[in-house]
Amino acid sequence: MSDESDYSQDDGAPFGGATPSRRHLLMLGAAASTVVTIRPALAQTAGSVMNCQIPVPDPRKAGNYIAADGQLVSPGTPGAFAPPRRAFTGEEVKTALRGGTLPGTDPVSSRAYTNYIRRLQSGMSGFTCYASLQMPRG
Amino acid sequence: MAEGPVYAADPPDLRRLVVLDALSVIFHCPSGQTHIVDSPAPEILAALGEGPADAAGVLARLARDHDIHEGSEAEAALAARLEELAAAGLVWWV
Repeated sequence: MSDESDYSQDDGAPFGGATPSRRHLLMLGAAASTVVTIRPALAQTAGSVMNCQIPVPDPRKAGNYIAADGQLVSPGTPGAFAPPRRAFTGEEVKTALRGGTLPGTDPVSSRAYTNYIRRLQSGMSGFTCYASLQMPRG
Repeated sequence: MAEGPVYAADPPDLRRLVVLDALSVIFHCPSGQTHIVDSPAPEILAALGEGPADAAGVLARLARDHDIHEGSEAEAALAARLEELAAAGLVWWV
């Protein structure tokens, strides 16, 4: 059972329309939650979560526009949005992640900014704040 | 058909999935978080790997690749699973 063949990665699975070979009966109506999240230790700093800030974009990428899918693109790119005037707070982002709209934005640009925030990775400004926000419902 | 929310997930290469017997462990690279998940979460994420879709669209992809247990209640059950994945940060609304 400890053989390495027991391990698989989903990026090795066929995507883009191919049919996975592991066809089986799927139970969608699980009785209990099917997801348990292990948060990194930095997420335990709950006291500061709501006041931490997430700049859009990272100051090192200042001036870039934000495309609808959250990617940074050249200023003036059609369909992309200029950066917001200020960084968003953790509380504002948390509200937006739950379906709300970021302050000072319309729903469409808010979604673009939110998509950018979802793409934050370790080392980027605002990542720690974003990671701290990702807590299960409640 | 697209009456409900449309869901999206990161592409598969931003996750690492390790199957541990009945459960799976997913490391989500963008957030640095690890999730222990049960079926049908990996299958749903794989279905969303083809692109954003509403619950009906995700169900159609799942039904194409798997046998679905719930029949007429499948879409409502799937919507609940999608909301769980959204709460965990693995899925979001677009």
